[in-house]
Amino acid sequence: MVAVLGGNHYEVLGIDARATPEQVERAYRFCLEMYGDSSIAIYSLLDADEQRRARSRVQEAYGVLRDPFRRHDYDVSQGFVRATPPMPAPPRAAAGPVPLPAPPPPAPRPPAPQVLEGPVDGATLRRCREERGISLKEIAGRTKIGVRYLEYIEADRHELLPAPVYLRGFLQEYARATGLEPRRTADAYMSRLRRHPDPTR
Amino acid sequence: MMEALPAVVPVAAARPRRQVWSVGGGKGGIGKSLLTAALGFQLARLGRRVVLVDADLGGANLHTCLGLAGPALTLGDFICRRVERIEDVLVETGVSGLRLISGASDFLGAANIKYAQKVRVLNRIRSLEVDIILLDLGAGTSFNIIDFFLVSDVGILTVVPEPTSIENGYRFIKSALYRRLRAAAPSQAVRAIVDSALDQKNPLGIRTPLDLLAVVEQADPAAVPLLRKEMGAFHPRFVINQVRDPADAAIGHQLVTACARHLGVKAAYAGYVPFDDTVWRCVRQRRLFASAVPDCPSAQKVRELARGLLQGESLALTW
Repeated sequence: MVAVLGGNHYEVLGIDARATPEQVERAYRFCLEMYGDSSIAIYSLLDADEQRRARSRVQEAYGVLRDPFRRHDYDVSQGFVRATPPMPAPPRAAAGPVPLPAPPPPAPRPPAPQVLEGPVDGATLRRCREERGISLKEIAGRTKIGVRYLEYIEADRHELLPAPVYLRGFLQEYARATGLEPRRTADAYMSRLRRHPDPTR
Repeated sequence: MMEALPAVVPVAAARPRRQVWSVGGGKGGIGKSLLTAALGFQLARLGRRVVLVDADLGGANLHTCLGLAGPALTLGDFICRRVERIEDVLVETGVSGLRLISGASDFLGAANIKYAQKVRVLNRIRSLEVDIILLDLGAGTSFNIIDFFLVSDVGILTVVPEPTSIENGYRFIKSALYRRLRAAAPSQAVRAIVDSALDQKNPLGIRTPLDLLAVVEQADPAAVPLLRKEMGAFHPRFVINQVRDPADAAIGHQLVTACARHLGVKAAYAGYVPFDDTVWRCVRQRRLFASAVPDCPSAQKVRELARGLLQGESLALTW
């Protein structure tokens, strides 16, 4: 046989490139069962070696697609997304000679992290970030979180965000980079997602 | 100036053309005949005029599934020309809209009818004034069985959640598809490749239709689109019978996925029927479960199946 399971990682799991993390998870479980040792659905169709190879292709695909960073890199490498998605240009001062930087403050005095009142949505986060003149690229550079996911957070594209356990980490990193209180910011954002049950719990 | 259309389209015009459906499965003892009888019953209850045909010529027992005694005249009498008209072997089943052409239990040679006879039988059956002709195919993958399956508008493939049945199911699909590809082969060379694929230990290493395409690609690239078209038109529909564990219902989706990935066959999952003691009890009493205990889980699932098949629907895999 030429190839046990060809195609890209999405094809191996039988999903769309826009699949949500939950869909990735469900498709993975389906494939694992289908190519599992106790599966009868592929009986006589694949021999033991082919079955093992199919299973390792499924594992490989899942290993990449379950991890938001690796998935993003993979999507870029496959041309599913652009490496740097268009971002709203942050308000900048008119181009001109760059003023000399002000003398540095006498002591490295990080400002006390701000605690936001009330529910926190993506738009609130974005406003805070823009007020501080921080670009998504800068946050991405500091936190190693893909710009794409930062955009999803700000756009409240909850269906495209990773599982809650990862998302919480993302939000805390985002908050830290933006000068917001990490834990409470993450809690406030997450509380709006509670309608969606967390399958990992 | 167009005339106003009548508000109600006449029923006759809305009636779809006559269709041949067949129920195969490769393996014996997986409930094909019972499923066929129950499906015919439900289709008749849904208002279709149905003729059940026991095409299991070597082991006909569809009449028993319907609680009928072996009819005096069977398909064998028509094949041997003891009667001239196909109508002469058509019997009422006691269910409105459901009639039966019984198999040739009295004529042992009938399982090996010649191609010309088969064509004659099919043509005459097709001429009956009905909506759906439902063929109960016998076990195995002989040309007789496969040819009936291939001429059907709806080809139903019954499997039970057991390795032996799955194995025969795949064997059935491959045999049927290769027969179809052989008939469509544009050259002697391609025909020879298809013939060698029928031997699972062929020297070309062809184990699946996808392997076959790869070999044809080398020998006669121009033939590939044609064969692909034939493969695309081959559309078996799985029914999982005797499902005991709810998880086994998912096997239908796995079979469809496996067919697409590893055979290049676009199958569908029509539905499943749970294992049900009621069915067994009814068989013992020689009564059809679907009519004797219409509310039992199996009868309900077959009703859903009939409805879905009429509407061309299948169970979709959603994440």
